[in-house]
Amino acid sequence: MSDQEDIEVKQEDQTIEDINEKDEKRDDEDLKDTDKISSLKTLGPFIAGKENSRNTVYLSDVPDVCKDKPCMLGVDEAGRGPVLGPMVYGISYCPLESKKALEDLGCADSKQLTEEKRDVIFNDINTKEYATSCVGWAVEIISPNTISTSMYRRSKCSLNEVSMDSAMGLIQQAIDAGVNIAEVYVDTVGPPEKYQEKLLKRFPTFKITVAKKADSTYPIVSAASICAKVTRDHALKVWKFPEGLVIKDNAFGSGYPGDPVTKRFLTEHIDLVFGFPRLVRFSWSTAENALADKAYDMEFDEPDSEKPKYAGTKLTKFFKGTTKSGEVIREECRFFKQRHLGNVMEF
Amino acid sequence: MSITLDFNGKNLAKSKQLDLHYLPAKIDGDGEANVEQYFNNYTREATEFGSGILTNALRGYPLVGEQLKVPEGYRGLVLQETEKPISESSDRQLRLTGVFGDFTYWNYDKVPSNGDAYRQALLLADVAQALSQPITEHDLEAEIARNKENAKESP
Repeated sequence: MSDQEDIEVKQEDQTIEDINEKDEKRDDEDLKDTDKISSLKTLGPFIAGKENSRNTVYLSDVPDVCKDKPCMLGVDEAGRGPVLGPMVYGISYCPLESKKALEDLGCADSKQLTEEKRDVIFNDINTKEYATSCVGWAVEIISPNTISTSMYRRSKCSLNEVSMDSAMGLIQQAIDAGVNIAEVYVDTVGPPEKYQEKLLKRFPTFKITVAKKADSTYPIVSAASICAKVTRDHALKVWKFPEGLVIKDNAFGSGYPGDPVTKRFLTEHIDLVFGFPRLVRFSWSTAENALADKAYDMEFDEPDSEKPKYAGTKLTKFFKGTTKSGEVIREECRFFKQRHLGNVMEF
Repeated sequence: MSITLDFNGKNLAKSKQLDLHYLPAKIDGDGEANVEQYFNNYTREATEFGSGILTNALRGYPLVGEQLKVPEGYRGLVLQETEKPISESSDRQLRLTGVFGDFTYWNYDKVPSNGDAYRQALLLADVAQALSQPITEHDLEAEIARNKENAKESP
């Protein structure tokens, strides 16, 4: 049984190599430079060339008009919920007057787009002249390893903080690259007010709009959403396990805890000591529960979380006025004392 | 009860060299581990914390560590008891698994420092040396002379 599987895997490898070889011959020029994403086809090789245990940031070339004319910038994310793979933050920007280009690209409601349609739009953004001349974009791939280690720090860092830091980092990089930003639109799953406040504090000169479902309201957010989603999908497709696992077609399912394919992947790839390969977000309760059941128990030295035995005078001491015999003595209030006033109960 | 250390002290140099990690976690399990693929593969230098500082993670928990040498004059040995003693009074036998001259020390999300329990504990090596080093007549006289000199300087 296991022999048969081995053979299958090897054959699979061969066919993949064959395809790659043909690809390389066909567009040698395209694939030579894996540090640049110039089309949908170059996205995979770019991601595969980076370490998948670390974060990766990519900025497209900034179109010249975006340096002169005031621009709008959209922010969105992909892959927040799944227990597998990176979370990707994306931004896209274009001059306020270039709304037409976004419409021509088809950046309407990204949630209603199919995977194929998103791929086509992403390719158009990077290849079509009417788009490359005025639309720029950037993404940050936040590795599952980073997500786990951030959430498991001694002073825990929530996913919301990781997200906001990433979004603000990308906006800053766009500013540094020379983009003349005037308006910022952000899609959020959490409460918009807090997020908006934080962004305004950091970027006080921009007109900032944080809204739920912004990706269906603002085409520029939709474009950012497409860049993020396409990048996340490709990151999973080209994922190589430093742990040496080989999964046919990288079929881990959607990564959502409810997906049976993902569930099976999680139960079948537990290492007794190390838990999971680092494609998995250890800090997700689904992952934690699976390890609690199947892997060795592991206890971390967490002396910082211990309750201090003595922490100085108790705060409640100042509210107590009882003697040992139980009678309550309260010092008279200074206000009354100074005015020669006292409590009288009996006359 | 006696404990036998079952190895030849003279052949230690030829023994198997071990690659060890000192982890800030208790693992309730015994057996082989895929250290190379699941762990060593992910060790990275983190110069932002200082030279020689390393980072990695264990089950998602961030680790910060460094390569440490066994203190001078000491040698690292890993001994294993193949048969658990039946009672406290029975003889025990420990066999040598391998030797090490250095190892990777890891803290949970804390840059290694002199505050670490490991470094504090190793101060004992210095104390032990000071206490057990033989003192010659010559050393003693020199010490007395020094004390007298100090007494003169600060009356």
